[in-house]
Amino acid sequence: MVTAAKLNYEERLAKLRERKLEHTRAKQKEGPWDNDDHGRIPAPPDFHFKPTPNHPSGGFFGAKSVGANFRALLESHPPYVDPYSSLAGGYMVYFFQMREPHWNPDLDWSPQLHEAQQRYGIIHGIGGGQHFAPDLRLGLRLGFGGMLNKVRHYRELNKDNPDCDPGFYDGLEDIVLGTQNWIQRTADHARQMAAGEADPELKANLLAMADMNDYLVYGVPRTFREACQWIVWYQMICRIFNGSGALDQLDEVLRPYYERDTAAGILDDEEAIFHLACLNLNDPQYSQIGGVGPDGRDLTSRVSYLILEATHRLKIPANVAVRVHENMDPAFLRTAVRYLLEDKNGSPIFMGDRGLVNGFMRNGYSLELARQRVKVGCHWCAIPGREYTLNDVVKINFACVFDVALREMMADPSVEPSTAELWERFKKHMRLGIEAVAEGEKFHLEHMWEVFPELPLDLTCHGPIEKGRDATHGSLEFYNMCVDGTALATVADSFAAIEQRVENEKKLTWQELMRHLDNDWEGAEDVRQMMRSIQRYGSGGSRGDYWAVRISQMFAETVKDVEKGYWFKLIPGLFSWAQTILFGKMVGATPNGRKAYTPINHGANPDPGPTGATSPTALAMAIASVQPGYGNTAPLQMEVDPGLARDEDGVLAMEALIKTHERMGGTQMNLNVLNREKILEAHEDPSKYPDLVVRVTGFSAYFASLSREFRQLVVDRLLTSGL
Amino acid sequence: MDGYIVNIQRFSIHDGPGIRSTVFLKGCSLHCFWCHNPESIGLKPDLQFYPERCIGCGRCVEACPNGVHAIEDGRRVLRRERCQRCGLCTETCYAQALTLAGRRVSVEEVMEEVRKDSEFYRTSGGGVTLSGGDPCVQPEFSHAILAACHAEGIGTCVETAANCRWEDLAMVLSETDLVLLDVKHMDPIKHREATGVSNERIQANIRRLSELGLPFVPRVPVVPGVNDSPEEIGAIARFVAGLSGAQHLVLLPFHRLGEGKYRSLGLEYRASTLAAPTREHMESLAAEARRYGIEVRVG
Repeated sequence: MVTAAKLNYEERLAKLRERKLEHTRAKQKEGPWDNDDHGRIPAPPDFHFKPTPNHPSGGFFGAKSVGANFRALLESHPPYVDPYSSLAGGYMVYFFQMREPHWNPDLDWSPQLHEAQQRYGIIHGIGGGQHFAPDLRLGLRLGFGGMLNKVRHYRELNKDNPDCDPGFYDGLEDIVLGTQNWIQRTADHARQMAAGEADPELKANLLAMADMNDYLVYGVPRTFREACQWIVWYQMICRIFNGSGALDQLDEVLRPYYERDTAAGILDDEEAIFHLACLNLNDPQYSQIGGVGPDGRDLTSRVSYLILEATHRLKIPANVAVRVHENMDPAFLRTAVRYLLEDKNGSPIFMGDRGLVNGFMRNGYSLELARQRVKVGCHWCAIPGREYTLNDVVKINFACVFDVALREMMADPSVEPSTAELWERFKKHMRLGIEAVAEGEKFHLEHMWEVFPELPLDLTCHGPIEKGRDATHGSLEFYNMCVDGTALATVADSFAAIEQRVENEKKLTWQELMRHLDNDWEGAEDVRQMMRSIQRYGSGGSRGDYWAVRISQMFAETVKDVEKGYWFKLIPGLFSWAQTILFGKMVGATPNGRKAYTPINHGANPDPGPTGATSPTALAMAIASVQPGYGNTAPLQMEVDPGLARDEDGVLAMEALIKTHERMGGTQMNLNVLNREKILEAHEDPSKYPDLVVRVTGFSAYFASLSREFRQLVVDRLLTSGL
Repeated sequence: MDGYIVNIQRFSIHDGPGIRSTVFLKGCSLHCFWCHNPESIGLKPDLQFYPERCIGCGRCVEACPNGVHAIEDGRRVLRRERCQRCGLCTETCYAQALTLAGRRVSVEEVMEEVRKDSEFYRTSGGGVTLSGGDPCVQPEFSHAILAACHAEGIGTCVETAANCRWEDLAMVLSETDLVLLDVKHMDPIKHREATGVSNERIQANIRRLSELGLPFVPRVPVVPGVNDSPEEIGAIARFVAGLSGAQHLVLLPFHRLGEGKYRSLGLEYRASTLAAPTREHMESLAAEARRYGIEVRVG
């Protein structure tokens, strides 16, 4: 194998990091980006692409049109090669942003469903892309040549099959052909660059990339480097297509290549780390490392360590998740915690195996299958290539449900207001809301294939090519549709505040409360503070905790009950993503002292309350207690004192916290080690720290790339965390 | 049994091994001018006022039977001298501008709170630490909490300056797994200047303690102008090196995080002009202390 092994990897990484910073600065000038960092490279000003519509609305819908447009985009996409990287390629645009209109206007859902979605603050997910996972190993076994052959084989086999979508194979073929064209042009570009390169080592590296990519147009990856390069291509087409892509159980995906190459003496750890760093530089996609194999064995391998090491050395946003379990390699957890505290970029994330596996099995799945469901998204898991989920796309706002219930009760002259009555009505409306969620998902599953099918992901799933139908159209084995609840603390504290101040202490009447809510606490700051200063969710054993657990359980039970009326499963989780602002704007003042249209609480986290900080152990216990318990997460989001990184005591304490939360059934831990002064300075002048990384929620991003509103979210969390 | 505490802090990780809950007890027999827990010095509750949180609702004016609170000419007036520390005003102050530092609680109430983190103690090898104030000011109460912890399999640690009758200290130590021993100065006169008391009884207690075979960690708050010279730290290190059972010596840099508490208590902060020692200075003092053959850590 031709390698550039003589080059100093550290120096090359430094060059690559510099280049990444240049790109990040340029992107920051384009405007805020409230999302994962992605690895997009700014496009040259003369690069433009406009899709060809096939509908009077100006949109392009259906597999054939989507595939043809995507192929045209890839065929015009400029090649990109960095001579210091070991992997060629870079992407510059998002195809999904060209979906205009986003949905085919001929396909509308009922006015009643529209109305229910609005009333209950539902983000319905209709038309939402991706949010399930490719089986990378399937793709690596086929290569792009094998994919093309497979598509053509099944096209022939299914040519008279009435169950197949007629344009589906056209779309798939175009995806592969467009990708192959892009790879070939990039290989050619690397060769041209090599011809003009004076430095012999860089020249050799460029030629190696040219040769490797010539081969990968059709060939099946054979080595560790080729596997990484193939993954780069596949991830890029997924990311461009609809923002998707995920790196699966990455240590296990790459382990065979690593073992083969190291045994053959053509790869050492330093080179492997460099390739992994280049893979992460191309795009910090979600991946899981460590964990338990289907047979119960600990999956930690040398590759798991190398992946951690690569992100540690890079110090850019990263989305690697370590799966924590009872019998894991203790040294691996120790290393992960140490890097978390040292790097201060919120990486890695920690996943709780017990809660995820036992929960998922409660849906009727086997232990073996539950162990294959890996963390591949912001706060979510999926079985690569076999499960469709729309995870993180569908949400219901508990605060809206609560508001409807409260106002309905107060408008009913036949009842005496009480928390008991309010609870019954809250339950009733929760059910109506979840039914509306399920109806929306049903509609999505009926029509998404004819609007914007999941073509690149179909290529690495089991079923779509064989059956001639898109993943959204019933060709996968499992359909476990997401329903995430939001505003848990807002509502739990509202119940607790009413119970304490109105019912028990009689400090104000129900009517007075309603007047304050309607006036947004105008002239009643003391009453607002009184409603805030109660025994909140998160203090441990409080009434707020009681209500939070009760709401979460009722939500989960209702979801599973509503599920009975559908052919797919519904899995409850608790997560707001970074949409606490959006959800807050949906609802007026709430009895927990929240002002109208201000943000709701984050994810499953308690609200900080007037005195701020909840201790990490209290937080960990609170969030473990509200897990909906069916294998989707209710993440723990914690701002961690950077002082913990000072000595080994901090590492050990953090490790114990993570282990205990896992043992209690916690499913995900997003731990942000924030430097208070730096964050506050960067909030005022983002250009000061263009490369400061924070974990906004399940995703990690450059702080300076975020909008002011999103930065404020991070700052508010920091200020109320007691750090 | 009841006693006075300031609060219980969960997830303490610098007050003994593992994840701990630290119970801050009221009452201290020393009056170190740099103390960062001034609200814990007196045994009885103290009224704290945070003006930045005050929303001017006037509920405290109505609640107080002694006229401590008033709004005169639009200005918030606080007459601390009238305060009986009953806490009635704090109960109506929902904005938490007024709080009472210190409350009387039972051993069971303390246990109820510290029990919450039992799982974390088990995983991390942690437990409960009594701090303050000084736990030896309420020896029976401290002893009862520690014994209750032991009865539930929770490890115990006590942070003390050992400035008390040996009998009281011995009672507390009988249920203690690890002692964090505050050492300020070896010179009795300078010790008195800095803390208000001489160190003779303290040193005698420490010597007796070291003969018990109980593990202990001497900890020195390094305060500019008080004990931050190589000679002064060296003298402490020599003393520690002569004791058996000391695990290691910890040097803790002075900080000013307690300044806001002085303001809230209406007290003068006499350490306001002191600067925190630099990392380099702390390391040089640690190097000096290591010359006496002991393990030294900088906190």
